[in-house]
Formats: sequence, structure tokens, C-alpha cells
Amino acid sequence: MRSGFRLAALAPRWRKVVRDLSLARARTFMVVLSIAVGVFAIGTVAGTRQRIARALDDSFRAIQPSNATLTTFTTFDDDLVSTVERMPEVAEAEGRRSLFVRVRAAGGEWRNMQLNVLPKDGLTRLDRVLPHEGQWPPPRRAMVVERSALGLVGAGIGEDVTVRTPLGKERTLRVVGTAFDVYALIFTIDGTPWGYIDEDTLAWLGEGRGVNELHLRAAERADDAGHIADVVAAVRDKLERDGRAIYYMTIPEPGKHPLDSTIQAMLLLLGAMGALALGLSGFLVANTAAAIMAQETRAIGIMKAIGAGQGQIGGLYAGLVLAYGALSLGVALPAGLAGTVWLSRLMARYLNLDLHGGVISLPVLALQAAVALLVPVIAAAVPIWLGTRITVREALNSYGLGRGQFGRRRMDRLLERLSGLSRPLLLGLRNTFRRPGRLMLTVITLTIAGAMFVGVLHVRASLGRTMDTLMQLYQYDVAIQLARPYRLERLLGVAQGVPGIREAEGWGFTSARHLGAERPQGPSMLSLSVPLIVFAPPAQSTMLRVPILRGRWLLPGDERAAVVSTAVLDDQPGLDVGGTIRLKLEGRDTSWTVVGVTQGLGPTPLIYVNYLPFSKVVEAAGQAQWLSVTLIEPSEAARQTAAKALESAFERAGLRISLVIKIDEERREALAAFDGIIALLLAMVGLMAIVGGLGLAGTTSLNVIERTREIGVMRAIGAGDGTLYQIILVETLTVALLSWLLGTALSLPLGWALGRAIGQSLLGNPLSFGLSLGGAAVWLGLEVVLVLLCSWLPARRAVRISVREALAYD
Amino acid sequence: MTSADPHPPLILLSGVVKRFATAAGEFEALRGVDLTVDHGEFVAVVGKSGSGKSTLLNMIAGIDRPSEGSIAVHGSSLGQLSEAQLARWRGLSLGIVFQFFQLMPTLTALENVQLPMDFAGRGAGPEAAGRARELLRRVGLADQADKLPAALSGGEQQRVAIARALANDPPLVVADEPTGNLDSATADQIFRLFEQLVAVGKTIVFVTHDRDLAQRASRVLEIADGRIVGDHLVGLSAASETS
Ligand SMILES: Nc1ncnc2c1ncn2[C@@H]1O[C@H](COP(=O)(O)OP(=O)(O)OP(=O)(O)O)[C@@H](O)[C@H]1O
Ligand SMILES: [Mg+2]
Repeated sequence: MRSGFRLAALAPRWRKVVRDLSLARARTFMVVLSIAVGVFAIGTVAGTRQRIARALDDSFRAIQPSNATLTTFTTFDDDLVSTVERMPEVAEAEGRRSLFVRVRAAGGEWRNMQLNVLPKDGLTRLDRVLPHEGQWPPPRRAMVVERSALGLVGAGIGEDVTVRTPLGKERTLRVVGTAFDVYALIFTIDGTPWGYIDEDTLAWLGEGRGVNELHLRAAERADDAGHIADVVAAVRDKLERDGRAIYYMTIPEPGKHPLDSTIQAMLLLLGAMGALALGLSGFLVANTAAAIMAQETRAIGIMKAIGAGQGQIGGLYAGLVLAYGALSLGVALPAGLAGTVWLSRLMARYLNLDLHGGVISLPVLALQAAVALLVPVIAAAVPIWLGTRITVREALNSYGLGRGQFGRRRMDRLLERLSGLSRPLLLGLRNTFRRPGRLMLTVITLTIAGAMFVGVLHVRASLGRTMDTLMQLYQYDVAIQLARPYRLERLLGVAQGVPGIREAEGWGFTSARHLGAERPQGPSMLSLSVPLIVFAPPAQSTMLRVPILRGRWLLPGDERAAVVSTAVLDDQPGLDVGGTIRLKLEGRDTSWTVVGVTQGLGPTPLIYVNYLPFSKVVEAAGQAQWLSVTLIEPSEAARQTAAKALESAFERAGLRISLVIKIDEERREALAAFDGIIALLLAMVGLMAIVGGLGLAGTTSLNVIERTREIGVMRAIGAGDGTLYQIILVETLTVALLSWLLGTALSLPLGWALGRAIGQSLLGNPLSFGLSLGGAAVWLGLEVVLVLLCSWLPARRAVRISVREALAYD
Repeated sequence: MTSADPHPPLILLSGVVKRFATAAGEFEALRGVDLTVDHGEFVAVVGKSGSGKSTLLNMIAGIDRPSEGSIAVHGSSLGQLSEAQLARWRGLSLGIVFQFFQLMPTLTALENVQLPMDFAGRGAGPEAAGRARELLRRVGLADQADKLPAALSGGEQQRVAIARALANDPPLVVADEPTGNLDSATADQIFRLFEQLVAVGKTIVFVTHDRDLAQRASRVLEIADGRIVGDHLVGLSAASETS
């Protein structure tokens, strides 16, 4: 024995543990892998959670977040800013300028963009923008683009874009770098890129001085949302007394990242997957331990016969399990670090976050060590206790054959009735049900793995289904938002002159203030209080189909009736169907009865009212600020062409457009909001495939390794290779199919519950449940392939060894 | 006889009945066995297959418990011991030798011999290794000490098993067909080892199918249908019958 010297210091029983580890290499490999997959998953999940949480904290602290931002329609000067700053409730007030422009990259088309004006040094006091790549701060006659928005702009660093200002001036600016702005991502997701310029560039674009945003930090109780709302109300009143109409207010949830609810949904998913991986790992180990104890029956009998007590033997096997755990750490720690790097990068990319600091975290490593050492011991406790309880006589009489009586007769009778089954098939089936305890453990393990895999795919399908439902909203092909209301006939006349248009509809459109809003709260995706958008389509419009969650859609005769999105309800707790909502519309206080609630798509609170009452209230009868258009032959290309033609036709007619909306883009942008979650879900599916697949592989091969002696016996009584393979395959396939059925069944409630939780935190509503039959099919395929592979290899080994070896003491 | 007896017998069975539950109902493997074995006896148990020899041996070794009756071995009433106490008692009071050797396959010969010392808490240090080596020398296997069982012949494995049975220097060795799996020359070697052990004062109870070997013991118990039907002291012309 080469290892004799090193082992000499160990008591003989611990030497047995070490030899068992090193001699039964296939077994050690499978057990260590079984534990390692769970520990790896835990490490990846915990490590990622920690890295993302730290990155969130860092990125948020670094920007000196404001408590609120007020944006006005018209610009104002620094005196007003100073007046606000002198208010006792306000610690800091900073005036900023932003403007909405149209932008076009070379060869691209016009799209909307928000340009933010920064001081010469690029450094603001609140809500800082941080340099990312290229030049910083933005130099004269150039712009820096927010890094998540580069793709939307369609130009890279060093390329030129054309900017058209609201006054119609066109200038060419070079994109010289990228920046990082915590608040930008939500606008990127909504399809509006953010860019940054300096004051000279602003003047060069022909825009006057003055600011239109007021960023505030409260003097006290900055973490009290109620107090902040009061401060903001006081500032708003001051601005309004000064004659400034508020365009919108942004009140982030105190101390929270703007994407907090998305992040919470992701962390929830991570946590759930971590917990499931832990449970799976536990069952995997229990299963493995039971297999090992079955193999060790004889050894236990001998040890008892020569004077070992149950405690001593139990300690010995607990030691073995601990050793497996320790070995698995060797695999799981580096794998967990790699997993953390991969998953946290993936999440950081979708969350527009910078990851700082190392990947190695002592608490996560400690957690992994605790899981690797404790979970196996806990999971193996029962199998070890049961295994060591066996009496010497039972242990030595049993040759690992024919044990287990429970259910055998009933099962046999059942099987015998299935006449026409071949002998090996019958044997394989009977073997499967011979040890119900072991069978149950194996099936539970594989069931959990399958349920996780398929369940996550159900969540993904549910997300898609929910999106589809929400997308039915848009029944038009192109829509145009105008800079101000125009006469309806004029708009329709121009639109009808454009080729390819089938129908055009003019809507009332405006932004409003929700007078009953108490404070921003609740799980809206943005945790921002943005202005309400009011749409007033003609009664029985065919251009939109609003999905109704509760109540009903507008009827032609409805006067002061409104259908509101869930985001509106968040602003006014207690508001629901039958309640009254008070809106400040074009400077007038109005009340509407809520008749229906719809699921909003984005963060913006939406309100739908009938055109007639709306135009009466805003005194714009016969006018419209929104035009929805359907095409004769709708297609993405047709919509592009029509949008361009409409834009130029309106321009020629002197109608000022503020937005052109193409439905395809709208759809893409809405879906993009869920890219992060979907990517995470897919990552989880991959992780589960690895964990579940390895679990399956380990369990199957252990089951066959356990059969070695039996295979020898069957061989001795004349079973040929084909027969042996057939018996083993029938047995393992039965287990695989059974657990596939159960796993697929269990995936339904699991996917439903996860979809509920994720929908709740993303949309404020459960996802509508979608089935992933493909997911179930893929898992079946994966299971069958793995089972065949993992039983074939050990079976081949078992079949190859001689009868004498198989029957010798294993 | 009571525990106050100044020279209690090593083994004392009275009214031992052992019933097994089988598919066909209860089966009595032992039907009222009374037996006394004193220190230093060399006892052979013979009988047809299925007569109850192994069952009897298992009773003596505390491997199985009787359905009725009482058993006392080496001063302990086995019925009063828990499984854990029984295991400890077994480790110190007797050595067991099996027909199929039953060595731990992943331990060397030396380590197999050391294992009972380890379980009995008698240290695993160098002095324990020294004692184990000495036992292997006594069974003629000093050179094979560091081999794994798979590398040893059947006879050698059985000699390791005997050395292991002697690890904690118990007064009693029980053996169930110790030579059943060996050729006659090897069986003879094993048997000579037994004779040497008896010569140094050990008590040995063994089961055998070999009438010749049985005749080399000092006492032969014959079992039929779960009863002791013959009890001869070898070398004495008169058979002393018990019932
Ligand atoms: N666990 C058990 N359950 C049921 N019956 C048993 C059990 N163990 C032994 N028997 C029965 O008890 C009887 C005696 O068995 P035992 O093993 O003592 O016989 P034996 O004399 O050692 O035979 P052999 O020479 O074949 O080893 C046999 O008929 C056997 O079938
Ligand atoms: Mg027997």
C-alpha cells in the first residue's frame, strides 16, 4: 500500500473510510458530483445575489440620489431654484435642463431622444451621471450617450448623428463617449435613449438658457416616503404659484434603485432556485446514502459481529459522508465562483450595473462549506440510522438479493397479469418496485429536478402569454402624437392622402395630474411617480383592445367614466372599480368614475375615457392630439414606409409632431423590459438542467452499481448480455418515466406560484399561466438520454466483470 | 446454577427455543436446548443441513436472540443486554470466524486484525499494530500483513479471520463451518491453529460437516431437528447422553 504511511496515523476504521473513497472511484465520483451540483448552485445563487446587491448599493450611493425631481413644461431660471433651496424642508435643490429631440444616425431613421445638459465639468450635485467609455465630460458640439442606449441611437462612439430640435433646427453632433446614468435604463427600456451635452452645445442647438428640472434632496426624513411627498407638494405649489405648469414629478422610493421591483423579482427567482437546488441536493444525497448503505450491509454485519456498536458504525459512515462533502467542496467552490461570475455579469448587463470588487466572498464560501458538510450529514442521517440498525444475522444472511417484501406480492400479481411481457422485461419491472423506499427516494429526487426545469419554462411561457394578452392593446399600425391639438378634419385629411392607409382615427390625448394620489408606492416597475397619460378614443374605437382585469370597457353612452391601469391604483390606495378619480386636466379639476381596471404595459399610469366627454372638459371639441392609423396591408416594412410618409405629409402640412409610434417597435420595447428576467429564467433552466441532469446521472448509475452482485448471480444462471442490459434498461427507464410524469405534474403548481410571485413584483398582477409543453418534452428527452447513458456505462462494467468477482464480497 | 457459583461455566443455555416466522407459518429452528460449556473446552457441533447448528451458534454469539429461554456467556446474561451493549460484549468476549471469511475488502490483513481493537477502544496506535502483527505471525502470515484480502488465498483469508477473532484476546472463539470453503490440506492447517488455541486455554465452539475433524475436538454435540441429540466427550468410551 503506497498510502500506508500516511494512513498509519489513522485508526483502522477511518482507514476504511479513506480506502472506500479511493477504491470505489466510480461511486465516489458520482456521490461527490451529486453533492457538488447542489453546493455549486447555492454558491452561484448566493454569490450572484451578493454581488448584485453590492453593485446596486455602490452604483446608487455614487450618484448622490435625489429624493424627487419635478419637471416643468417651460423653462425657469436659477432664482427660482434658489428660492426653493431656501425652503426649510429642502436641503438641496439643483436646476437642470433636458430637452426632447429627434435624432437620426447615418442611414437610420428619426427617433426620439432626451438630451440632458450637464455643467462644464460634467459633475452635478445630485443624480450624477458617471463617465463610462470615451470622452468625458461631453465637449462642445458633441454628445455622450448613456451606455444602455447606444443600440437605440444606432451610432457607435466616434460616429455622427443628426439632431433636430423642437424648433426644427438640425445639427450634426459626434458621439464621443458613453456614460452611466442609473435613471436611464427605464427610459431605454421604454425606447427613449438618453444623451448628454454641455451648455455651449445647447446654445449651438439654438435653445435658450434656463432649466426645466428641479432635483431635490429633503432636509430631513429622507427615507420617509410620506414626508417626501409632502415636501414635493410644497415645492410644486411654489412652482405653480410662480406660473410653472408641472409636466411630471419623479419620486423614487426612498433609498431604492429605480429598477428595484425588477431586481426584487430576479432576486426572488434566484432565491427560489437556490432553495430548490438545496432541497434537490438533499434528496440526491439521501438517495445516494441509501444506496451506499445497501452496498455496505455486509460490511456492517461483519463490523457488528466483531464488536462495533451502532453508534460507532454510524459515526464511521457519517465520516464517509462528511468526506464526500469535503471533496465536493473542492469541485463546487471553483465551479460556484465561475457560476457567480457568469450569472452576475448576465444580470449586471440587463440591469445596467457595474460590478465592483472580487468574486470571492467569505460568507458565500462559508455558506457553501456549511451546506456541503451539513446537508449530506442531515440527508444521510436516516439512511445511515436505518442501515446500521440491521442485525448481524440479517446483514450476513443477505446477499443483497431478494430483500424487501413490501408490496412485492401485489406488484408481482399485477405484473403477471400483463401477460405477453418478456421475461427480462418482467424482471426489470419487478426489480423497480422491489425496494419501495429506495424507489421513492430516487423518484422524488428526479421529480424535483424535473419540476424545477419544466416549472421555470412554464414561467417563461407565462411571461410570453401575459405579454401577448397585453399586446392585444394595439390594434393600430402607426400612431402619431402631435405637439398640440389640431382640428380633426385637418388631421384625417392629411392622413387619408397618404398611400396604404386604410383607416385613421383621431383621439384626445393629454397628460394629467392625479389629484387623489397620495404618494408613489406599490409594486410598479419603476417606483416612480410619472404623469398620467389620458387617451380619449372615440366610443367603440376598433383601434385598441384594452385587456380588462376587473370591471368593463367604456360604453358609447359613458360620460364621466374611466378605465384606469393598475399603475394608477398604486398611486391612490383603495381606489378600484366604482371609485372616483380626480384629475387635473389642462388646468381643470375633474372627477371620473372608474368603471374598469386594465393591466398597464409599462410604468406609465394610463387612463382611458370617451372622446366626447373628454373634448368637452378640455374645451377642444372636434380636435385631436393623437392619430391612430391602420394599414391596408400591414407588415413591418409597410409600417416603416407609412410612418415616414405620414411624418413628411404632416410636416408639409405644418402640423407639428412630437412622436411617431410604430407598433412593432412598441412591442419590442415592451418585451425588452422583460429581457432581463427572461435571460435569467433561461440561465436558471440551464443551471437546473445541469443540476437535474447530474442528479439523474448519479442516481441512475448508483442504482446500477448497486446491482453488480445481482448481475453476477443472473449471469451465473445463464443470462446473456442482451438480457442483462434489457433488465437494467427497463428498470431505469421505468424510474425515469415515472419521475417525468410526477415532475411534469409538480411543475404546474411550481410554475404557477413562481409566475404569480414574479408577475406580482413586475406588473403588480399575477402572470396569466402559460404551459410549456416543449419544456416537458425536452426534459423527457434529456431524461431518457441521460438514463440510457448513465445506466449503460455501469451496466457494461457490471456485465463485463466475471461471475466470481461479482459474487465475491463487494 | 447461580451467579454465586465460584466457577460458573463459560456458556450456559437453558430452555432455548428459536422460532422463525416464515411464509408457511412459524418454524421452530431450536426446540428447547440446554447446554453448558466450560472454559477450555473444544466443542464440535455436527448435524444435517437445516438441523439448527448455525442458529445455535448465533445464539451463543449474541448475533440473534432466542424466542424463549436464557443464555449466559462469559458472565453476561445476553437477554439483558441492549444491541449496543451486546456489540461491546461481543468485541471483548468472543471472536467469530465465518465460513466465507468476511474480511473487510478495503482493509489490509493487518488492518482487518486491528479493527476489533479499534472498536473496543483499545487504541489504534503502534502498540495495537504490534499486537496485530504478532497475531498474524502466530497464524503464519507475517509476510502478508499489508496485502488486501483479494490478494490472499482462501486459507490465508481464513487465517486472517482467526487472527482477527483473537484481536481482543477473548476467552471464546465461535466458528461456523470455518473449513467449509477450504480444501482438506488447508482445512487441516486451520484446524491445527484451533488446537494450538485450545492448548493455551481458549474455548472453541465450531460447526462442521466433517466427521473426521469433529473427532479431533474434545466434545461433539449432535443436533437434529433443533434438539441436541448427542453429546460425546471424545476419547471417552462412554457417551454421556443429554436431553
Ligand atoms: N431467518 C430465518 N428465517 C426463517 N427460517 C430460518 C431462518 N434462519 C434459519 N431458518 C431455518 O431454520 C432451520 C435451521 O437453520 P440453520 O441455519 O441453523 O441450519 P444449519 O444446521 O446451520 O444448516 P446448514 O448445515 O445447512 O448450515 C432451517 O430449516 C432454516 O431454514
Ligand atoms: Mg449453517
